[in-house]
Amino acid sequence: MPVSVLASALVVLIALALFAIALSTLYLNTYAWWDPKTQIRTSYSGLQETEACSFSLIMPCRNEREDVMRATLSALLAQTHSRKEVVISVGHDDPETVQTAYKLASEHPDLVRVSVDVSETKNKPRQLNKALSMCRNSVVGVFDAESIAAKELLAHIDSVFATKNADVVQGAVQLINYRDTWYSLRNCLEYFTWFRSRLHAHSRQGFIPLGGNTVFIKRELLNEVRGWDGNCLAEDCDLGVRLSTLGRKIIVAYSPELVTREETPDTLKALVRQRTRWSLGFMQVFAKGDWKNLPTRKMRAIAWWTLMQQHFMAFAGVCIPVAIFAAVWGGFPLVVTLVAFLPLIPTLATIAFDICMLQEFGRDHKFTIIWYDYLRLIVGTPLYQLVLAFSALRALLKFIRRDFGWEKTDHSGAHLSYLEPAAAAPVRP
Amino acid sequence: MAVAEMEPAVIEGKNSGSPQHRGPGPDAPFSLTQLSFWDRITLWVLTAAAAVLSLWNLTGAPSYQDDEGTYTAQAFAVHSGSLAPYTYWYDHPPLGWIQIAALNWLPTMLGLGDGTAIGATRYVIAAFFVASAVLLYMVARRLKVRIPFAALTTVIFILSPLSLVLGRQIYLDNIGVPWLLLAFYLALSSRDALWHHVCAGICFAVAVLSKETLAIFGPALLMALTYRPRWSNRSFSVVGFLTVGGLILAFYPLSALLRNELFSGSNHVSLQDALSYQFLERSGSGRIFEAGSSRAELLAGWLYFDKYLIAAGLVAAALCLLRKQARVLTVAILSFAIPIVLGQGYLPAMYIIGVIPFLALALGTGVDIAWSGLEKYVRTRPSLRRPLRAAFVAVLCSSLVLMSVPQWFEQDRDLLTAENNANWRQTLSWVQDNISREDVVLAPYSMWYDLNSSGWNDSWTMIATEKPDLDKQFETAHPDGWQEIDWIIVGPSVTANIDSLGLNRAASALQHSTTVRTFGEWSIRRVEAPVRPQANER
Repeated sequence: MPVSVLASALVVLIALALFAIALSTLYLNTYAWWDPKTQIRTSYSGLQETEACSFSLIMPCRNEREDVMRATLSALLAQTHSRKEVVISVGHDDPETVQTAYKLASEHPDLVRVSVDVSETKNKPRQLNKALSMCRNSVVGVFDAESIAAKELLAHIDSVFATKNADVVQGAVQLINYRDTWYSLRNCLEYFTWFRSRLHAHSRQGFIPLGGNTVFIKRELLNEVRGWDGNCLAEDCDLGVRLSTLGRKIIVAYSPELVTREETPDTLKALVRQRTRWSLGFMQVFAKGDWKNLPTRKMRAIAWWTLMQQHFMAFAGVCIPVAIFAAVWGGFPLVVTLVAFLPLIPTLATIAFDICMLQEFGRDHKFTIIWYDYLRLIVGTPLYQLVLAFSALRALLKFIRRDFGWEKTDHSGAHLSYLEPAAAAPVRP
Repeated sequence: MAVAEMEPAVIEGKNSGSPQHRGPGPDAPFSLTQLSFWDRITLWVLTAAAAVLSLWNLTGAPSYQDDEGTYTAQAFAVHSGSLAPYTYWYDHPPLGWIQIAALNWLPTMLGLGDGTAIGATRYVIAAFFVASAVLLYMVARRLKVRIPFAALTTVIFILSPLSLVLGRQIYLDNIGVPWLLLAFYLALSSRDALWHHVCAGICFAVAVLSKETLAIFGPALLMALTYRPRWSNRSFSVVGFLTVGGLILAFYPLSALLRNELFSGSNHVSLQDALSYQFLERSGSGRIFEAGSSRAELLAGWLYFDKYLIAAGLVAAALCLLRKQARVLTVAILSFAIPIVLGQGYLPAMYIIGVIPFLALALGTGVDIAWSGLEKYVRTRPSLRRPLRAAFVAVLCSSLVLMSVPQWFEQDRDLLTAENNANWRQTLSWVQDNISREDVVLAPYSMWYDLNSSGWNDSWTMIATEKPDLDKQFETAHPDGWQEIDWIIVGPSVTANIDSLGLNRAASALQHSTTVRTFGEWSIRRVEAPVRPQANER
């Protein structure tokens, strides 16, 4: 008898934990749509008449194809904002890309320079730090090699810095090739909710893991905190955490016309690698413990939850069906079994809202979303959850083995997340 | 796009009053966090009035009904981990009495209700009645009804004898109604906040799981949610409302499925059987226009308690068509009336409870619409302003007095002073004092829980009148059938129930019984079984 009571209590506890996770996901995903006021608050503030900042844009590249780099660069050079420079950041062990970078720079000698990182270990933060030392303008921005910036982006970012007195502005990135693979639709939508909603919710809570692309930071501040952490796999998230801890003002702005367009990873394997790296990065940031310096207990709790939620979420998708299955076949009292079903309410509601978001995604980017896409979205959800859970598990194993190397994955011959070359020129809708 | 989204907030900004005033301006949307002085005063006064009217002489009148006893017994069964003292057969979703169970320990602990369980449970219902009264005012204010007319809405609700007599009894509808009103309050939120609309879905699901007949207001609620200027996240609101509400409702069939009682089968009750009984097999109440049909009788009964509220409410419902936001009330009342007027299936007596708040709301809103019309008219003729306003108030007051004095006053006075449960109470104590706890007793549900918990503590020794015939477990507990019954307690509804439900075993017991003691309409009868039990009686 006591054993069965204990087992019941365990099922209830697990179910309530899963419920909390699913509810938190629902909250974060739908935050931007809470009311029309939130929708406005999360938009850009409108253009100012005069320019207040100047921009140094870092474009980190590794094993990139020339056409991809050229497309990214020309989008940056075509910015309507007048005061800008571009620093193409490459590594000395990647001579082909170095060559392409110099070739591109020579075409615009007054606007584009090349920074070559010569450090032993190769990774994105080290390349960024090297490039930072060459930056001359007041605001530093980062654009991944395979991303296409909107023409008026810098002008709007400038206005946000000016009107909101921001230290950091995070713009939005949107994956758009939603028709290419079974997972790309979910991947695109994931970016959509991340930049349209989740980041805003985090920003409101005062603790925000920044993204690595289309992010703008005051150069002085960046130097003050000694740039990016050269040993962290999620240097972007880490920077956000450190700046949040310092109480710096981080603004997240979204407008569909101003998103930076990117592609989804081109193979499932690449997706898993990317996710593993992100998860591992989050774990690393968590373990580093900068978030423990936050002033209040409440903020530390929020930080803890924000850093852990990623992993929780990945597992929740797998655990909920398992918990329900166990509860139904485990011969538990009816109430216990019903409690095990509770997490399904926020989970299914999240999927229902995903449908609305897909519709809005299509409307914002002028894509025709057909019924088949909605179907794909729903059917793909459990599979995508499995991929996320698998990646999180993989990251956890690597974390336990202290395997933070970039080189290792490089040796395996495949491309690594942001360093992966895009398969084709970035899609323009 | 950003500009398009800006529009609703800008409009709202205009409405939310000029910043130099303290508190919201006259046109500000009603919100509990920003109550104006008069709203606050009115709310307090109405809450106090509702509390007094619902609590005063609560156990004296009206007389305890069998249904009240049923839900009391089921609520107490929840305390011991089951949904009913007998087999739960999906007669209603159980959330209503689960809510009672969550609350009834409090009046029991405080010793309210003359020491009876049914009396204590009435105090729980009183809390729901007060909540309904307060929410009614809030909904009226959200419908932009002026403070005095919104207050009038609640006053009608708490003074109408129809509302008061039913609102003091332990009916599941009384539990569902505040949830329904809360759903309307949230759906009408002017902030267009998604979580308000999701919560509206949750509240509606709770209302329906408390009393399934309240589902009839679903279309009106959906209309309240959508029938206004488009806002940027409307599709999210509608999807959130429907999905979350639907998912919570799904827990009812889910729990049936988990107990393997969703579909009909031999040797077990099922949701399917219960639904087909309620909607298809249960003897219908006839047509409304058929003289003498039970539907017509029921309507006459409702009209007896308050023909004014019903008649005036229906007229006001038509008047509500003139104001866009108020049309929701017309739809609510119409959708409620359709099964009464067009249907001929079974109509429960408490069905009316759901529509009473909407009739009151229609009245308050109708008066508000008339006042707006008057104001519009006097703007063209300022000289008539005073006399016309005075005339309006005079007509309103005199019609209220005409409505209330002859009928309301008398009936409400009865409710607040009459002692209708004295015989019930005397019967209860006589049985408790004089009948052995070993004897098998058949008792009406209104008294059953209080008797059973006074020493029998076995639902097959102290048996509710219907159960020997309607619950198969009786055969296991009493293989010799009705002859094993020693006593039968007969209250005012027992013979009617035996007839309408076809209770053969109870009828046999009654036939072979002799009266031992009588208290008014109540009698305690000893069953004298024939010397040789007939084997085929089982």
